[in-house]
Amino acid sequence: MVKSMGLETENKEIENNLREIARGLLKEKKVDVIIGYMEGTLPLLSQPIIIDSEEDVEKLIWNNLCYVNLAKYLVPRVPKFVNPEKGNLTVGVISKGCVGRGLIHLASENKINLDEIKIIGIPCNGVVNRQRIEMEIGEKEILEVSVFGDNIIVKGKDFEREFPYDEYMNDLCKTCKIRKPPLVSKSLDLCVGECEEYSNIVDDFSDISEFEALTPEEKWNQITEELSVCTRCYACREACPMCYCNLCFVDQNKPVWFGKTTDLPDVFVYHLIRAMHMAGRCVACGACSLVCPMGIDLNKINRKLEKIVKERFDFTSGLDPDVLPPMVDFKLEDAQEFALEED
Amino acid sequence: MDEKIFAKKDIGKLLEELVPEYKFYAPTKIKGNIAFKEITDVKEIELDYLNSKVPPKDVLFPQKEIIFEYKYEGKDVIIEERKDLEDKILIFGVRPCDAYSFKLLEDFFASGDFQDDIFLKKRENATIIGLGCNTPRQSCFCTSVGGHPFQKESTDVYLSDLGDIFLVEAISDKGKSLVKKLTWLSDAKKADVDKAKDLAKQAEESITTKFNFDLVTKVLDENFEHPVWQEISESCIGCSSCTFLCPTCTCFDVIDENDEYNNRGRRIRIWDTCQSCLYTLETSGHNPRPAKIQRCRNRIMHKFSYYPSNYDCLGCVGCGRCITACPVNNELRLIIDKILEIEEKSGEKVSA
Amino acid sequence: MPNPYIPILTKVKSMVSENEVNDIKTFELEFVNEEEYKAFDYVPGQFAEISIIGKGECPIGIASSPTEEGTIKFTIKKMGTVTSAFHNCDIGDTIGIRGPLGNGWPMEELKGKNIVVIGGGFAFSTLRSLVLYVLDDKHRKDYGNITVIYGNRDSSEVLYRDLLEEWEKRDDIEIVLTIDREEESWTRKVGFVAAVVKEVAPSSENAVAVVCGPPIMIKTAQNELEKLNWKDEQILNSLEMQMKCGIGKCGRCNIGEKFVCIDGPVFSLAELKRMPKEH
Repeated sequence: MVKSMGLETENKEIENNLREIARGLLKEKKVDVIIGYMEGTLPLLSQPIIIDSEEDVEKLIWNNLCYVNLAKYLVPRVPKFVNPEKGNLTVGVISKGCVGRGLIHLASENKINLDEIKIIGIPCNGVVNRQRIEMEIGEKEILEVSVFGDNIIVKGKDFEREFPYDEYMNDLCKTCKIRKPPLVSKSLDLCVGECEEYSNIVDDFSDISEFEALTPEEKWNQITEELSVCTRCYACREACPMCYCNLCFVDQNKPVWFGKTTDLPDVFVYHLIRAMHMAGRCVACGACSLVCPMGIDLNKINRKLEKIVKERFDFTSGLDPDVLPPMVDFKLEDAQEFALEED
Repeated sequence: MDEKIFAKKDIGKLLEELVPEYKFYAPTKIKGNIAFKEITDVKEIELDYLNSKVPPKDVLFPQKEIIFEYKYEGKDVIIEERKDLEDKILIFGVRPCDAYSFKLLEDFFASGDFQDDIFLKKRENATIIGLGCNTPRQSCFCTSVGGHPFQKESTDVYLSDLGDIFLVEAISDKGKSLVKKLTWLSDAKKADVDKAKDLAKQAEESITTKFNFDLVTKVLDENFEHPVWQEISESCIGCSSCTFLCPTCTCFDVIDENDEYNNRGRRIRIWDTCQSCLYTLETSGHNPRPAKIQRCRNRIMHKFSYYPSNYDCLGCVGCGRCITACPVNNELRLIIDKILEIEEKSGEKVSA
Repeated sequence: MPNPYIPILTKVKSMVSENEVNDIKTFELEFVNEEEYKAFDYVPGQFAEISIIGKGECPIGIASSPTEEGTIKFTIKKMGTVTSAFHNCDIGDTIGIRGPLGNGWPMEELKGKNIVVIGGGFAFSTLRSLVLYVLDDKHRKDYGNITVIYGNRDSSEVLYRDLLEEWEKRDDIEIVLTIDREEESWTRKVGFVAAVVKEVAPSSENAVAVVCGPPIMIKTAQNELEKLNWKDEQILNSLEMQMKCGIGKCGRCNIGEKFVCIDGPVFSLAELKRMPKEH
């Protein structure tokens, strides 16, 4: 990552570029609407915004608080993406790497028609781990957050603290290898802005090496502690672009698979089964954890599954709309030993 | 002077004296979040906090709660009612907004021909120790919904945080007899009382979020079908963090939970949310509120229109939790602004 | 004050299958304590939360009339988890009941009026209660003419056949049965309920229509009534909604500020028109 010019300068440049592209797309009617991010009303947040006119382009922003995965709004399409007469509109999506991956992956599962979207690619330099900052600041109100140089500056009524960005960015962003949306070779005009062709991704799973080194008991304790505060508000599920089932397994009542309570066994089953459904489908955006009102870190479970998928099937999700994820696809030569081996 | 004081470092003394008689709930930190939990060790109590993540509502209306237990004997069923509803509960350190929520909850659960015996019994046996809010957040708006960061009315005993000491005021009869029992409290000086007044004034002045909710209610009543609801629900992802962290949300689901092998089980209620599409889904497949637009609207209408018509008060205490909790920042202040814009625009039209 | 969430215990006394496919049954329930039966004071149109304890609870309209003494009846269609559990019941099984709940048909206001009962399919149960109540010797003189228009998909779905036959023998009630499509042995009317309403053309003078059935039937029947100059205040509906508590606390059955469980389930068309279209 080039940061010699400072994060805020880099972001500004990205922001200017994306506005320029957005304006052009709207002007030339290459898209009907654009979904992006706008300034949040609270210091550690941003808001998704949908615009359809050139004047609103100035509302689009890019900074390290743009953590929502916008692919979510395409499956199912929000009402603004559908015209009662024309049907599906062409949607421009401001896409950091993981948003682009999300869109491409959803296309592989036939949930998105890539002809109906434009990926407005931006080179992402990660997002802030907002929960970690909130926890460290503790019971003081954060009034202002900015990035300056390589630091996140957090200000309140009678305090000001600096957090090194490299350390306080979201854990997944630290090891991310797909910062720009992947280029899809068969539809080169899908991506406008900055996209990149990826081949032979060597995923870096060092972010979970510490977790992997724990004993099963320690792992159990860590996950238990993490999940103990879950209220089952399902923000994790609702923010995940891959959670698009019409009726989630937790909501089924014929049969009821497991309880709806916040007792630990029920919470566990919910999160672990959801994680299983993510295997080979997770695009490592980290939205599930970043949206959690209780600050639960779900990344470790998901990352562990991704690692298994990578090792067993050499698969990285969201790169090729024509390749199905291993858990969705069936091949005779598929190895199944993982079912017995992994702890 | 009626007011008393005690040093913060003596909180252990208070706990020690009250724990034999009460289930003592106080703010504590769990995985970085402030929550009201039953405390037995003074070290667990967190005194320096803005407000809890999950409101203290969950002490009297927990996310999961037993309605009754049952036992099968052949074809006969024996129902066992709860015996713990008479337990005495004390909730320490409740912010005025949350204390006011207990009043709203009580009024709601007592309304109509059927009273919610479970909640009301617990409420009756609960003593609320309120704690003035020295530092309201930018997202706080209690003064717009009839509250105040130092409002005492809905508490039994009211504390003001004066730094190293708490100023103690007995508010209700329950509170008066409690304070009388705490013979080790010292008398407050006039300076203490004055300081509390100053803090109250400062706190009130620091609240910047202000709304005219009479107007909001009026606009809501007239604009059920307005296109603004589409806009309001556009970015909502349909999770239930706003409702699960709300101190006045009361919706619940009822479920029978069976033990596997001993013919016993319990009927429980668990929090439910109007933000879920399953909430209103009928067995036939018909759903009266199938889309996010209807569900977002229902939450806002419920708090600011249905509540005023049914119970003559707003269904909101201005704690701002839904504002800070919304993961996509589709927060209440923006929603209220958009609703009030309808009125402004129609005003412009009339004057033009 | 008793805890309103605690059910009264009853036992299944009898079960009658109501249709050929056997997915609708009428359950007759006997109270374990006579005292509790005496205290169970209901009017037609009210419902109860009934449960197989351990399986769950659901709101069902009371099919029996308070004039049928000794037991209460519910007609239950096998639909979800709880109703399916009912269909697996045996005689003597324990059933929990909470009720009576809701406002019911306004029997006092109906006094002196002609009543047009319009029902479709399985939703006829609380109409059964109403008709039995009105036909009872104690009450018959309080009410005017009764016309029943009752429609079903086919003849095998007609509920309460014995009762309908009995009513047909009386001269103080007019029974009009219809099914959607022709069948060989069917000698009554054929066609949708709305079409039959149009044909029968009940007079709106000093009359009230009580309507219960699938949403589309309610809507089309109402349209026909409106064409026949019926006023919104004269048309009563009983609504169904997802409910859990039945006592106005669990939240989900609200239509605007009204709760179907405590403010309804019976609403006049005039009231419904003032409410949001969320039902």
